Amino acid sequence: MNIPNPSTAPAAGEYAGDEVSAIVLDPGYSTIRAGFAGEDVPKSVCPSFYGQSDSGEYHFGENAIHAPVGGLDIKNYWGADGIVEDWDTAAKLWEYAITTRLTGARPGDPSRNGLNDGNANGENMDVEMEGLENNEKPLDDSPLLVTEPGWNSAKAREKYIEIAMEDWGTPAFFLQKTGVLAAFASGKASGIIIDVGASHTSVTPVLDGMVLRKGVQNSPLAGNFVSDQIRTSFKQSTPEIPLTPHYLIKAKFPVDAGAPSQATYREFKTPPTDSFRLNEEERILTEFKESVVEVWPGPGRFNNGTNEELAKNTPGRPYEMPDGWNQVFGPERFRVAEGLFDASAALPSDTAPAPKPEQTIPRLVQAAIQQVDADQRPMLLSNIVVTGGSTLLYKFSERLNYEINAIYPSTRNKLIAPGSVVERKYAAWIGGSILASLGSFHQLWISKKEYEEHGAGIVEKRCR
Amino acid sequence: MASGRDVRDMLGLPAAAGGGDAPKAVGAAPNQKRPKPAAGSRKIRTSGTSYVFPWELVKRSRLTLIRPEGVAREVAALYGERPPPVAVYEEKKAYRAKRQSTGPAKKWIQQPFTNPVRADGLVLKHWRRKPTMAPPVQETEDASMQEGDTTDTYIESCADFAKYDIKVYMPTFTDEEYAAYLRSDDWSREETDYLLEVVRDYSYRWAVIWDRYDYAPRQHAPETANSEDQALASMPFAPSKNRSVEDLKARFYDISAKLMKQRIPEVQMDADQYSTYEMLTKFDPVMERNRKMLATALINRTMDEVKEEEFLLTELQRINMAANRLDAEREELRSRLDAPPQNQSVSAGLQAFTSSQALQALFQQLFQQDRSKKRASGGNTGPGRLSLSANDMVHTPGSAQQQLSAANRRQSMAQQPTAQTPVKQLSPHQEHRFNVSTHDRLTSGVTFGSDKLLKMRQAKSNVQTQKIGNMLATLGVSEVISIPTSKVGEVFETLVTKISRLLDVRKVREKEEGECKVLLAMKERRSGGGGGGGNAGDETRPKQEIPDSQETPDADAPGEEEEEDEDDVNKNYGDDAEGEVDENDNPDEPGDDAEGEEDEGGFNGEEMDDDGDVDAEGEDESSKQQSRATSQGVGTGQGHKRSASVFSQGSAQSSKRVRK
Repeated sequence: MNIPNPSTAPAAGEYAGDEVSAIVLDPGYSTIRAGFAGEDVPKSVCPSFYGQSDSGEYHFGENAIHAPVGGLDIKNYWGADGIVEDWDTAAKLWEYAITTRLTGARPGDPSRNGLNDGNANGENMDVEMEGLENNEKPLDDSPLLVTEPGWNSAKAREKYIEIAMEDWGTPAFFLQKTGVLAAFASGKASGIIIDVGASHTSVTPVLDGMVLRKGVQNSPLAGNFVSDQIRTSFKQSTPEIPLTPHYLIKAKFPVDAGAPSQATYREFKTPPTDSFRLNEEERILTEFKESVVEVWPGPGRFNNGTNEELAKNTPGRPYEMPDGWNQVFGPERFRVAEGLFDASAALPSDTAPAPKPEQTIPRLVQAAIQQVDADQRPMLLSNIVVTGGSTLLYKFSERLNYEINAIYPSTRNKLIAPGSVVERKYAAWIGGSILASLGSFHQLWISKKEYEEHGAGIVEKRCR
Repeated sequence: MASGRDVRDMLGLPAAAGGGDAPKAVGAAPNQKRPKPAAGSRKIRTSGTSYVFPWELVKRSRLTLIRPEGVAREVAALYGERPPPVAVYEEKKAYRAKRQSTGPAKKWIQQPFTNPVRADGLVLKHWRRKPTMAPPVQETEDASMQEGDTTDTYIESCADFAKYDIKVYMPTFTDEEYAAYLRSDDWSREETDYLLEVVRDYSYRWAVIWDRYDYAPRQHAPETANSEDQALASMPFAPSKNRSVEDLKARFYDISAKLMKQRIPEVQMDADQYSTYEMLTKFDPVMERNRKMLATALINRTMDEVKEEEFLLTELQRINMAANRLDAEREELRSRLDAPPQNQSVSAGLQAFTSSQALQALFQQLFQQDRSKKRASGGNTGPGRLSLSANDMVHTPGSAQQQLSAANRRQSMAQQPTAQTPVKQLSPHQEHRFNVSTHDRLTSGVTFGSDKLLKMRQAKSNVQTQKIGNMLATLGVSEVISIPTSKVGEVFETLVTKISRLLDVRKVREKEEGECKVLLAMKERRSGGGGGGGNAGDETRPKQEIPDSQETPDADAPGEEEEEDEDDVNKNYGDDAEGEVDENDNPDEPGDDAEGEEDEGGFNGEEMDDDGDVDAEGEDESSKQQSRATSQGVGTGQGHKRSASVFSQGSAQSSKRVRK
């Protein structure tokens, strides 16, 4: 037996893999994931937020958007409905995500890159003119697989292929829904996928690798909703809990729990914009969600009386703000996430509309199942895939399990929630990576030729 | 020897090796000379060859240390006499095949390829080993490739995955066929085409087909010609309908079946084809819809219902187990009793519980067991478990259930099956032969037939008992009947009842006679003549008595009363003083008192005769006849001898009669 090492080719038939160095792009509200198919994690993860200076210049990437530069507006190209809104920026940002880490910048035009200055002559110029078109396309030798939300509109889908084919010049393209890919990442061809992301929670029934469109449900009760709940909770507490982002703090000094902070603050000549501050505050809230917020694991709702008492008796979790203010958070850490499951428990917020009961996760699952043929329901319920960064909230899957079992006590409900953080956050990308590296997938690509023949409408026909 | 020692010296071995080994050692030594010095022994150990030098063996045995493999000698020496039970040492390194460094590193190239399944000839690149056929050519090619696009790059046709390109079979039809067979009021031609297209696209995945089925005449197929579009719009059913999966399936199967029949006539179909055809034609959308509704209802059950079902399932399992056990027990019992083989229908465990009553009984029994078990375990049942109450049972009408439950309360497992096992039918002859008897009710415990017989002899009063005894004795029935079978018991019982009846009748007659005599005596006294009184009484008596005696069995009321009275009196006289109270109950009846002193001996004699006759005649003789016979006999033969206390002289006669 030979031990597989990087220099031995995998046995034929060992897996149906046949890599064609495709690129998988999984854009989300919070981050854009991109990487080569066949790898297990996306090589390039960059924020979907971007900075736009007053002069209209774009600033992409983690470093750019967190630098406290004056006059930098932080924006996101996603619309409120979970469909890409600002296509121009989206295309630029995606290209940035791909080219910075994966393909590298294309060699520039030889006439301008300064290398050929010495021997410029007629012959060379001809070559340049021929190669000009190709060289400017960033992806002209990598097939591209892009993910889309399950409720994407037909128009938006055509836009994807237009960008890929015309702007980037990919030889082959495919569009697949995140739900299907997340199921593939868990090794399932069928199942119901609960994806709790940053801006949207979606429930997608998938059968044999195909989304059951009627069953796709989505709601805005997701990570950002929890952040908003935390903000509200901070505002409501007495005294109000201050939320000061890192970039404002020059130095901090230790203080007692609950005591006002003692910190010295930075001065800026041109203070950063409000949207910048909001984005920075969001980072703190993310950290807070990761380390403090907990989902009441059941049984029963959190605010059914007894459970709140129970929660009071559990030890709290301390958290320290960037300015040194700190406190131990007790039962309120359960309350901010309760809205995901129980609309009536959501704290009334002044920025977002109160959630409706049918937007909560259990109701979404119920609605999705309701739209599926009765024969398939038990099978789907035994393959419930949980994915998305917000499902990493502590005890989330326990609660979800409880809720689903309460709705469907008679079926065998099985939650598939990968333990690894990477797999949970990047499930759709990983599924895309698997799919695009399969040999049997070669025949599914939409080639450039087909696109030219049929136009953008082909995406509706081929990517079902 | 000397040479051996020399060799040993040469090898640096201790001289203590056994003398007998020396020659061998000598023999071996020249061969082993080379490996021995320096690392010789170590090499043997590490390489794991089985060869051990003889002297080494000796050395080892002397040290009594079998060194564990893979431990350095020095370390092993530190172990002392008792090595640790688990030696920790590194896994021996497995030899790995050496990297074959045959020439320079193999080169890989991104080989462009096409997939033959693709019609558009998309060229993708995958990594392949660079072919090594013609290195110089490749070199140049490689170089040229590196330089830029080559004109004649080899493009591989990679058909490895072509097998995954699967096309589903679809029924096809021509316009004529459609017009002839496939028309439907509900489905337009366009929608039918659309349906077939969708079915092909989603490869018969009906759930997906239904999900994606979105037939809108307007929107549908923008490529189709304008005229067709207009034709569509003009159709009466242009507005798209909300089709269910069953509708879609029904239409598709209908088309498939009809086309199949057209292609292959039914008679020519082989088994497979016919079964497919049958399946297609037999699809019933209504039934399917109902089935789905049931399935939905099943999924949407509440927690309580689910728990109940769970409980019932466990209960069923228990019942099954109990049934098996019962079966086994019954089997064992049967084999022990060596009973004739059972009816086939009941021998199989669960099938025995086919009737609802049997199930009911079993349920009850399990319920009882469950209760007792719970009590035993201190009620430590799980919280989710529902307790079973008697109300849960389905009520079957009345008495049978109660009877069964009463039987169950006895908790005997064996009783259940006996109720179940059918009685083998025996012919009357066999029944008689095996002495089989049936009883309405059995008393508990063991009884002896002789006890029963003895009991029959006992009457209410001692006097009566004695009378019966006397009578039996005169009949020649012995005190102890040697074989008290049930039949004997029966006969004896009838005999005893007859005896007592006769006794009763006689008693009545005596009373009547006594009264008559008293009256006659009074009459004589009044009339003053004492002479012919006796004869006159004799004359009249029979006339009076016949109706009387006839009356006694029919209209019991007077007779019984008298009997009671008489019994009381008899007790008083025969037994003790206890009856004096009773006597006071009827102080105003002189006849009673008189009767008390009557002599029983004579009567016994008479009646015994009668009984003898009765026995001889048969057992179906009516009581009327008996009594008549008695009364007549008494009336004719011995009427004059009877008297009340005043004229009690019958003892002599009666004794005479006995003798006769």
